[in-house]
Amino acid sequence: MSDALFPVVAITMGIMMLAAGIVALYVRRLLSAIIIVAFVSLSASVLFLLMDATDVAVTEAAVGAVVSTMIFLWGRGKIGGDR
Amino acid sequence: MIRSIFGLILVLVLGAIMVAVVPDIEYSEEIHGVGLHYTSQGMQETGSANLVTAVIVAYRGLDTLGEVVVLFCASTSVVLILSLYPLSLKVSRPSFIVAQTSRLLPAPILLLGLYLIAHSHLSPGGGFPGGAVIASAFLLVMLGGTGVPGSSRNLAAVESLAGLSFGLLGFWGVMKLGQFLNNLVLGTGTPGSLVSAGLIPLISLVIGIKVASELSSVFAAFRYKGGH
Repeated sequence: MSDALFPVVAITMGIMMLAAGIVALYVRRLLSAIIIVAFVSLSASVLFLLMDATDVAVTEAAVGAVVSTMIFLWGRGKIGGDR
Repeated sequence: MIRSIFGLILVLVLGAIMVAVVPDIEYSEEIHGVGLHYTSQGMQETGSANLVTAVIVAYRGLDTLGEVVVLFCASTSVVLILSLYPLSLKVSRPSFIVAQTSRLLPAPILLLGLYLIAHSHLSPGGGFPGGAVIASAFLLVMLGGTGVPGSSRNLAAVESLAGLSFGLLGFWGVMKLGQFLNNLVLGTGTPGSLVSAGLIPLISLVIGIKVASELSSVFAAFRYKGGH
């Protein structure tokens, strides 16, 4: 990633993550909210990668995007789907 | 209504504090203090090409041991609670895509996890992410079937053995060099080769096994139906 391009990409991704976070709060279906939160996690992982924090990026992708999403999905199953 | 206004005021106050404080934080271009020591001496002292792992496992090994204990307590309580009050979710038949994916992907995912653990002192990765990746392969296998996991006693045994090995590796340093978790009981070797960096690869392996078995038993506990 070239130095000139980095701020543009980083700020765009930050705005996208903020927007996704707000959408996750107000979206009607719980399933959609969980998937959007997973998207925010994955974007954070890409941002860490762009900032050369590869160790953190790997951990965020494994724990933030996979493990926590799965636990949210099971929690959704327990409370009985979309209400 | 009053609660929303209160929340709004709280957010505004916190925002004002952030705006007031953040511009005064100084980021110096040069590294100083203990960070300078890590970046200039770290590779010679530990033999690890990956300085992040060197700091996590060698310089701050005791903190990592504490972190492992915290994770152990967390996963043990989750498994305990879920075995007393099972979620008893309905396990539906996996769709075609999930069923086929769960046959194809676990092997490459396992390989990636093992790579992350084995090369923790050479390339980005380490025990925690590697263990989480291995556990996600286990998760995929579980999602591809309709079965319910039985007893996770073997997982618990593997986990306890890994935790015990961490402590014993630490006491090896006490016996040989008079310091708990001293990295230099094995010699540093040439930085960048697979067998190097003293105790770091062994501790990464132990952490990886422990995290993988802990997360797997948590996943298994979520599917547990209760009864025997």
